Amino acid sequence: MQRLGNFKLPQFFNFPPFFTLQPVKETREKQVQVWKQLLLDYCRSQKIFVIGLEEDFPLFSNPVIENFEKYFNEKLCDGLLGSLSHEAREVFLSALISEGHAEWMDKDHRKCLMLWFRLQEWADYILNFVKDNGLQDGVMTIEEMRSGTETHGTADTLHATFSIIQELAGIDRGLLLRVLRLLEQKGKATIFKGTSADDDGVKFSV
Amino acid sequence: MRRRPGIAGLKSAAAARDQYRLVGENVARIRADVMKEQLETFRTQLEDFARKHKNDIRKNPTFRSQFHEMCAKVGVDPLASNKGFWAELLGIGDFYYELGVQIVDICLSTRSHNGGLINLQELCSLLCQRRKVAREAVTEDDCLRAISKLKVLGSGFEVISVGKKKLVRSVPTELNKDHNEILEVAQAQGYVTIEELEKRLSWSSGRAIDALETLLKEGLAMIDDGHRDGKRRYWFPCVASIFSAPGSDGFRSL
Repeated sequence: MQRLGNFKLPQFFNFPPFFTLQPVKETREKQVQVWKQLLLDYCRSQKIFVIGLEEDFPLFSNPVIENFEKYFNEKLCDGLLGSLSHEAREVFLSALISEGHAEWMDKDHRKCLMLWFRLQEWADYILNFVKDNGLQDGVMTIEEMRSGTETHGTADTLHATFSIIQELAGIDRGLLLRVLRLLEQKGKATIFKGTSADDDGVKFSV
Repeated sequence: MRRRPGIAGLKSAAAARDQYRLVGENVARIRADVMKEQLETFRTQLEDFARKHKNDIRKNPTFRSQFHEMCAKVGVDPLASNKGFWAELLGIGDFYYELGVQIVDICLSTRSHNGGLINLQELCSLLCQRRKVAREAVTEDDCLRAISKLKVLGSGFEVISVGKKKLVRSVPTELNKDHNEILEVAQAQGYVTIEELEKRLSWSSGRAIDALETLLKEGLAMIDDGHRDGKRRYWFPCVASIFSAPGSDGFRSL
């Protein structure tokens, strides 16, 4: 099985037609479905929060298909062989967006924020994190949360806490702020400005 | 017999008829008994054989297929009923029904990517993976037998031969001769182009496009446009080797 770093790629990734948008409705739906899953799984495992549509992204092209072709045809192949057209990239990401699993970050659709947890799911995650760690009424800085090194909690909850911290570690700062603001609106958190951006903090009142 | 007048004459005629009838019945009964006896012997012999080689029949696929052949020769179908002594003796009916259920399951779960047409080899290897626990080897012959039993359900399960390969069809799509020929050409690389069909089969491009469009619509083909020469490739997951590699689990999770 082909791998990308520590990520195990699905079988379809080596099948050339999956890189061309399919004209038949049912086939297209299936194609979009497997791509959505792959994009979310990969981004989550690699903690990639932003995909640039015009940039190189490991999933947008498969060198194996191209090499295979070169090997048999002994001539240089088109750049689109085994890689997604701009249209296809937009179709797959739009499908994620329609489910709340992604957002365009600009009007030109050049950057896309990946939300393997939807905003509300992230909010629930953080609330659990706060409860499990007895951080109610406690104060944390934004950077502290992002660093993922916080290890409050008893031995019993440590394991659960650890996985939540793992999920939070390295979270996109803009995303984290939006999730916290969502909690603020519901009266579960208060964000306050520090002397510098690094000192911005949050107080939970669950 | 000269018919004698009077009541005595009628009586003796009736008595004679009764005698004839009795003799006839006796002969028939003796014949039936002999037949029954022979059948009984045959049955016990076959049962003895089956009992003696029960394990071989269950565990050894080659032996199993030879046993089936023998049964077919003497006109016995061990799969005909699940209630007969075969089933009780060997559990052989259950074996194939189980296979049948698993085959249906695999066909359904892979339908989304192959459009309901699966290579028999691939089906068999998926089946073996799934039955790992059972530790009983399953051959293509067993698959074919189980599929032939599925036909009774009228669900449109059918085995079609395309070139050297056998494909199992689990959708009611009728494939005509043109479609079969396309699949045969596609076996080499997993895909075909319109030009290739024109060249290899001496078809007009209209004929090729028409047949390919049908296969696309049925979900049996997928297109690949990523080539500089601009020639669209029509891929067929059911014959592309990429999906039949052993240990392939790419679509299990779908």
